[in-house]
Amino acid sequence: MDASIFTNIFGYYTAILPMIIMIIGAMVMPAVYMLTKKRAAVTAVSLVVVVVSAVINLIMLHYIGTMGDYIYLGGTSATFSGLFVYTSFAGLMIMLFQIVAFFAILVSGSSREVTKLHFGAYGALMLIATTGMMFVVAASDLIGIFVGVEAVSISSYALVTLKRADPRAAEAGVKYVIIGGLSTALTIYGISMVYGSLGTIALDGLQVAFVAKGWTWGLVIGIITMIAGYGFKIAAAPFHMWAPDVYEGAATPVSMFLATGSKKMGLAVFFKVFLVMFIGVTAVKVEPVQYLFAIIAAVSMTVGNVVAIAQNNIKRMLAYSSIAQAGYILIAMAVMTPYALTGGLFHMFTHVFMKGGAFLIVGALICAGVGEKISDYNGLARRSPLMAFAMMLFLFSLAGVPPLAGFTSKFVLFSGAIYDGGAVSTWVWLAFIAILNSAISLYYYVRVIKAMYIEKPAKGTEGKLSYPKVFAIAIALCAIAVVVLGIYPNFLLEPCATAAKDLLGVF
Amino acid sequence: MIPIEYFLTFAAILFVIGAYGVMAKPNTLIVLMCTELMLNAANINFVAFSAYMTGAPAVYGQVMVIMTISVAAAEVAVGIAILLNAYKVRKSTNAEDLTSMRW
Repeated sequence: MDASIFTNIFGYYTAILPMIIMIIGAMVMPAVYMLTKKRAAVTAVSLVVVVVSAVINLIMLHYIGTMGDYIYLGGTSATFSGLFVYTSFAGLMIMLFQIVAFFAILVSGSSREVTKLHFGAYGALMLIATTGMMFVVAASDLIGIFVGVEAVSISSYALVTLKRADPRAAEAGVKYVIIGGLSTALTIYGISMVYGSLGTIALDGLQVAFVAKGWTWGLVIGIITMIAGYGFKIAAAPFHMWAPDVYEGAATPVSMFLATGSKKMGLAVFFKVFLVMFIGVTAVKVEPVQYLFAIIAAVSMTVGNVVAIAQNNIKRMLAYSSIAQAGYILIAMAVMTPYALTGGLFHMFTHVFMKGGAFLIVGALICAGVGEKISDYNGLARRSPLMAFAMMLFLFSLAGVPPLAGFTSKFVLFSGAIYDGGAVSTWVWLAFIAILNSAISLYYYVRVIKAMYIEKPAKGTEGKLSYPKVFAIAIALCAIAVVVLGIYPNFLLEPCATAAKDLLGVF
Repeated sequence: MIPIEYFLTFAAILFVIGAYGVMAKPNTLIVLMCTELMLNAANINFVAFSAYMTGAPAVYGQVMVIMTISVAAAEVAVGIAILLNAYKVRKSTNAEDLTSMRW
């Protein structure tokens, strides 16, 4: 079976077929809720939509891999002038977003924190946000990227605030919408300056125009404001202050969706815009940009890890830890080699499973009546041994303990900063800071593990815990992925390498 | 023809006024209005660049302005709904009262 069955049926629209299915799903979701009034029905329908879209995406990804040919929106005609292009990078990232959406939707229906009254809208917003992410990775110019990112942002503002009676969610929503608006304004101002100084907004034309025209004051302003604007989206320091508040205030499945999905979309934008624009340029000086990214990466991981030590709320701790993880992935932006990008993409995948799994455990325990404080986790190993064991797996994986997935992906990522074609790279110091930070991070992860395994449970909370079964299924899937990717990374590492080469145009 | 610097300076002033408002104003409704100012500064930039360009790229600026206007409208609609919800739950939309979560 190959993708020609799709191109025969869907013709010009094949490139955005996975997105079209998600959009149709999003549109019918409120109707499904209105007719059935059951959360389970909405969950089932949206899961079917996500799975169908994922299967189609996998077939298309396989086709791209064997044929080595892109699928353009509008085919080879000029109807849409290739506004969206399905490449193997786009296919791989779409797969990541579908995995995130699958887990988030799977657990939402049974979570105590998620709204019951507006669940149709909740499912629709979740699917629209996923679709926006998918459009971002398939876009071939800055218009597509901008509008896709906004589709994700606006629906996530609503998703955060849908936990309506909670004062913390209301506050988080206000903060998110204001910071998001600021980042949108910075981004669009930056795009306008880039457009004015380079005269193009097509992603593959940016590098040509940059080499021809070099640095101008307009381009400098444009690049800096764009980096700041998208820096807010990935919550890299110093643009990170909203992230802990929003992750704490939102319902835990939504926090998981934002920390693993929305953040990966921002990083994909960085790869698609800045990496493709600056990589391999020798005629014009690009070291300042590399150093800018290196400093953002170093500051993000240091701030994230150091501030996480002081946190007592586990959701805030995981939020700061994901700021640090964004810093690790930004190493690929500073090093600017296909190998480092491979590591960055692979770390994005493993981060989905380990951070997603940790957030899912927090969500399951909130449904079981356990609080969000780290001291509430005292003696968890006696109350729910499997949960405690899975949490230990995810936290050790986040810290980078072998043989778990976090170790393998960090190994590839950091070695990209150390090794550069037979010689020691100039970015060794960045890898050094990253490894030091991994050691710091182990401290606060082990603090949770100590609470779970060594401390005794507080008086009156010794009983066994019962949580919804779907949480157990989702957590088990994440745990299996974390172990398997750690021991046998090749089946995901090779598609990542293909996607990295594909994005950077080196075959 | 008026030199393009005049338009760019005007847009930059508008952008800075908006940024000042976002950072300094305690009333979140005014903050939302200030983000609109910043978006419109970018729109002026796009239209100005588009008017001074020739050929196919000149159209991109105008397309981008339409996209920005629609995105800004959607964002304000959601933003005001979120502020209303915050007012119902917290009885205030001042930034100084929304400080239960810090660090």
